[in-house]
Amino acid sequence: MASTARRISQLLPFTWVWWILGALLPLAAFPRTPSPVTIWEAFPRGEIRVGVDASHAPFAAYVNDSLVGIDIDLASALAAQIGVPVRFVPLGFDGLYDALYADQIDVLIAAIPRDTSRGDRVLYTPAYFEAGIALVTPRSSTITQMADVSGRRLAYEFGSSAHSEADIWARRILPFGHMPYQFAAHALDAVRVGDADAALVETVAAHLYMRAHPEWDAHMPQVVLSIPYVMALRIDRPSQAVMITAALEHLRESGALDTLISRWL
Amino acid sequence: MGNLIGQKRLKTSVGWAARVALLYLIVIALVPPPPRALLGAAHTVETEKPHVCVHTRLIDEVDEWKIAQSLQYVREMGASTIVEFFPWAYVESSPDQYNWASVDRILCHVQNQGLRVIARIGFVPDWARSTDQEHTSTLNTLTPEFYADFAEFAADFAARYAGVIDHFIIWNEPNLAFEWGFQAVDPLNYVELLRTVYPAVKRANPDAVILAAPLAPTLEPRGSPNGLNDLLYLEALYQNGAANYFDALAIHTYGFTHAADDPPAADVLNFRRAELLRAIMIRYGDEDTPAYITETGWNDSPRWTNAVSPSQRIAETIRAFELAEEWDWLTSMCVWVFRIPAPTFNYPDYFTLVNVDFQRKPIYYALRAYARGFAQSEMLWLPPPAE
Repeated sequence: MASTARRISQLLPFTWVWWILGALLPLAAFPRTPSPVTIWEAFPRGEIRVGVDASHAPFAAYVNDSLVGIDIDLASALAAQIGVPVRFVPLGFDGLYDALYADQIDVLIAAIPRDTSRGDRVLYTPAYFEAGIALVTPRSSTITQMADVSGRRLAYEFGSSAHSEADIWARRILPFGHMPYQFAAHALDAVRVGDADAALVETVAAHLYMRAHPEWDAHMPQVVLSIPYVMALRIDRPSQAVMITAALEHLRESGALDTLISRWL
Repeated sequence: MGNLIGQKRLKTSVGWAARVALLYLIVIALVPPPPRALLGAAHTVETEKPHVCVHTRLIDEVDEWKIAQSLQYVREMGASTIVEFFPWAYVESSPDQYNWASVDRILCHVQNQGLRVIARIGFVPDWARSTDQEHTSTLNTLTPEFYADFAEFAADFAARYAGVIDHFIIWNEPNLAFEWGFQAVDPLNYVELLRTVYPAVKRANPDAVILAAPLAPTLEPRGSPNGLNDLLYLEALYQNGAANYFDALAIHTYGFTHAADDPPAADVLNFRRAELLRAIMIRYGDEDTPAYITETGWNDSPRWTNAVSPSQRIAETIRAFELAEEWDWLTSMCVWVFRIPAPTFNYPDYFTLVNVDFQRKPIYYALRAYARGFAQSEMLWLPPPAE
């Protein structure tokens, strides 16, 4: 036994460190089970203060001095699910995270994606909406991904993010016809009337257009640039993140999240 | 015997330490060196519109080549001036311990491209924030007991870069609660800040031009927790003697959803709101003091309620520059923003002229055509499809 210990000590310098680590190892196998958090522990103010960006339709905007939109409905549904009242705090985009850091709000529901550079201070929930750039085609089309656009005609809005994305894809795949239009709706019109084979537009614009043209059997076969919207919470208040994430997942599984979004898109 | 074992253990430890050191050296040797951005021959800006300027965001750039690439594109666009933010917190993270490396790195490329810089300074280091505000302070929270420290930093900055940077904007949009560190917005406090900083910078660099902070265009009424109307705030600055402590006024004016030509009105936020700020300057006898529009532009986000389409953005931006040519009180007009280091995936991305990956947007080419007198294609997009 002593000889084994000596051999180990010869192989590994600072033997005492390894012995301590070895002693601690079993503890890692039995993590403490967190005790259930009460609503009052998570939200001691008795309300959820939600930071929103009221300039981002259809997620949050003022209509007749009232806040409306997907983010507003989602926050209300989450608060109802948790069982606390909600208070909205309208913020400018530049001040969203500072308001969270300065304890002006509990959660940001403001059409924001995950920002990895803030990982030391912020917890993010899973995504509640995909707001990226998508390919739009008639459902009967053989185009199911960007690679299929080679040799075909692609419509997009001049100067938009979709235009930038189309330029990037022009370097990745065989040549295709570029059809810039002044507005995204014109690009979608072009596909609908057969002037173009596919359009590249942001998902919200595509949803709104297809809602306005229910007779057109179109779909989004590929999200070309994914921008998932999430909620942000303070990292030092994990109980809030746990409760809000659980409520979001409940809304998702029950179908309430889709219903809520379909009221707007 | 014990001594021999001890010596043997020591030898073993030294052997392991040598192996680890050797492995470290091998790994270091295998890591490719960071890309270098070499300075080539010095350039000069070719432009027909010397008032064209852009606000850059280079200080947070990790890779030096991206700074070089950005500034090359700025010069090629025909902009002679940039506004760049230099945070106090980055340079003096401990009292009297200065690290100028990030500033030096930018300025060597600025000089190489032949550009002029207007430096905006702000952002408070941890040590200069009141301890009683520990839980609510932000990088924008500067309380009066630290005004002298900020002035000392500004003076050191001005002295170090005299002849390279002679224009300084003191703080940003102090009429917004967020930009004032969530303290109550108070013009008198900002006058006190100017009163402290102005003489210190002038002593350090007598040629320095001090620009009073640009105010955020906003209609927030008195008593609002979010901020204060920019027109009311500027009036209050003059009423509290600020005119003695700045050489020029910095202005932020945005078009939002309005045309560049739309007339100004006190209850409307549009591009020509700058004329209302100018009228206040004249009303207080400050007509000899010039102004710089250090942020302007339109946004073409598809979702932001204050945005226009990309094609409208181009047309209005060019028209705004044409209007500004007629304003003899204006020295420069800077578009917000040339490029940002990382995408926000929200409307701020749609203020840029160049994408994060250095794709130049159509508005870049339109501004280049305007500034350098290039002809631009008439046919930029297709006509709407016929039903």
